[in-house]
Amino acid sequence: MAATTTNLTEKTFMDRLEPYLTFIGPMVMIFAILLFMGIAEPVRYFRLSNLNLILLDAALYMPMAMAMTFVITQRGIDLSIGSIAALSGILMAFLIKQYGFSAYIAIPLAILMGAVMGLINGLIITRFKVPDLIGTLAMDLVYRGLALVIAKGLVLARFPDLLTDIGRGQIPGFIPVPVVIGLLTMALGYWALTRTHFGRYTISIGSSPEASEMTGIAVDRHKIYAYVLMGACAALAGVMLTGKLNAIQATSAPYFNLHVIAAVVVGGTSLFGGRASMIGSLAGVLLLSMMINALVTLRIEFFWQSVASGVVIVSSVALYTWMQKKDRDGARSLLAGLRTTEAQKLMKFSALLIGLLILLLAAGAGLATDPTPSG
Amino acid sequence: MSDQPLVQMRGITKRFGGVTALQDVNLEAYAGEVLAIVGDNGAGKSTLIKILTGVYQASEGEIFLDGKPLEMASHSDAIDVGIDAVYQTLALADHLTPANNMFLGNELTKTVMGIKMLDNTRMKSEATRVLDERLGVRLRSMDVQTDSLSGGQRQAVAIARAVYHEDLRLLVMDEPTAALGPQETARTLKLIKTLREQGLAVILISHSLDDVFEVADRVHVQRRGRAVGVVQTAESSVQEVLGLIVGAQDAVA
Repeated sequence: MAATTTNLTEKTFMDRLEPYLTFIGPMVMIFAILLFMGIAEPVRYFRLSNLNLILLDAALYMPMAMAMTFVITQRGIDLSIGSIAALSGILMAFLIKQYGFSAYIAIPLAILMGAVMGLINGLIITRFKVPDLIGTLAMDLVYRGLALVIAKGLVLARFPDLLTDIGRGQIPGFIPVPVVIGLLTMALGYWALTRTHFGRYTISIGSSPEASEMTGIAVDRHKIYAYVLMGACAALAGVMLTGKLNAIQATSAPYFNLHVIAAVVVGGTSLFGGRASMIGSLAGVLLLSMMINALVTLRIEFFWQSVASGVVIVSSVALYTWMQKKDRDGARSLLAGLRTTEAQKLMKFSALLIGLLILLLAAGAGLATDPTPSG
Repeated sequence: MSDQPLVQMRGITKRFGGVTALQDVNLEAYAGEVLAIVGDNGAGKSTLIKILTGVYQASEGEIFLDGKPLEMASHSDAIDVGIDAVYQTLALADHLTPANNMFLGNELTKTVMGIKMLDNTRMKSEATRVLDERLGVRLRSMDVQTDSLSGGQRQAVAIARAVYHEDLRLLVMDEPTAALGPQETARTLKLIKTLREQGLAVILISHSLDDVFEVADRVHVQRRGRAVGVVQTAESSVQEVLGLIVGAQDAVA
């Protein structure tokens, strides 16, 4: 058989760019933020203390983003990580404050308990065949509920130095301790993804579960491993959060799951499985922290953060999907798609909806009486 | 071709509940020979090779390897004695590189400072070597994802996975050319001939009689769970085999 005769000229610019896409994507966005802030608020944004703050915020999400990269690459999802972080943190806090456990024992215990919660998630998904979305969403309620039951609305505060060191310690003249922990977990994750059976099988399971099964890979066991890793990393984040705030309560860490999933997806790991990028996940975490910090620096109201996060997620996923589409149906431009009959129908339907909206608003404004203030 | 068959299946019967999928089937495969199995849908081709590769166990009948009775409880037993299969779906993970696919489930490892880890460098060089030496295939790049390869190249990667075991003696290929264009089909048939020249016994399942007459030495025809004839391609024609498949004509089995 002759060597491949694939025509080299068929390779377009996009094809050659594609392998680096996962890395370039978040990098471009990071540079966009840097550029924008360089113009808008260079003094306050690039202050050393502010950069430290960004890193400190990002560090909290790094272990979880690392583990979530494995889970998502296997075509899974874990929506329970915020609750696992809170419950592990609460359990650790009780062990230290109530039962006088040493922090040196309570911290590894908390991480192990997180791993067990991940194990439960994994077993529910692989043994009981509950879809991951529903399974982890339900377990999110369970873990959060247990945290509330145990803590009863209490805020546990003032912990041993070891914990605050982990959460917000600063290595003099260098970066904060949590950043070191976060980067270490990321590096370990990168190594595991490229150099271990677990990492290799994670990609093959996400790429083709059937092929993995046929080549004798224990698909369910490796799925469970990913959820256990996820649980342990969520618990580690819970420990770091407790240390950072020097306090923990049952309602802590409410939006961990979406924030982490966003960082991983923005980093180019495909929600459809098989495509993993650990460096991309790190870039995604940094990007989200930089963006949120930028909003704060610009004194934009806190509530806009959630709007911005949502917009970034939707636009980046849409961008990746569009770029990875092999066959663009000969569509030369984005507008070409608008000329099909199907698109025409959709446009008419949208116009009808918006028209109704405007009509109702106009009617409301026309018939409006003097408003009575509530309360 | 030697006189002693490498693999001999004798009186194989397989029942699934009340359904008899195979009835008293005999089959012989010789080293250095391509044997094609043809037949209509439901003729029992797949069941037959699944028994041969240890996926199913026969209800009745025996399998001999080198004249010695062979008991297989699973597919891995078959691999251990040198019988492997390349499935129609190829069982490839599209996002992995060809080398990683070739070693999927059977990775090469090295130990660094007491930690066992994957040896990606050696897997890549071994994959390049096996593809080139055994199959005569050189890929433009070994670092691309497998889904960027052509159909024939993907087939080569799947075959390389099987022939990497030095003690492989019988390779079963289930419809290797079903999803391929003419050019890729020609390449795959050439791969099969290469394997035959290396002294492997190859069993090929195919619906395409053109392909069968191109590469096979003998054709085993199945109809409704029974073996209705074995013909030499050199002494037969597409018409005759077609007649056997649809039952218009019976030969001595």
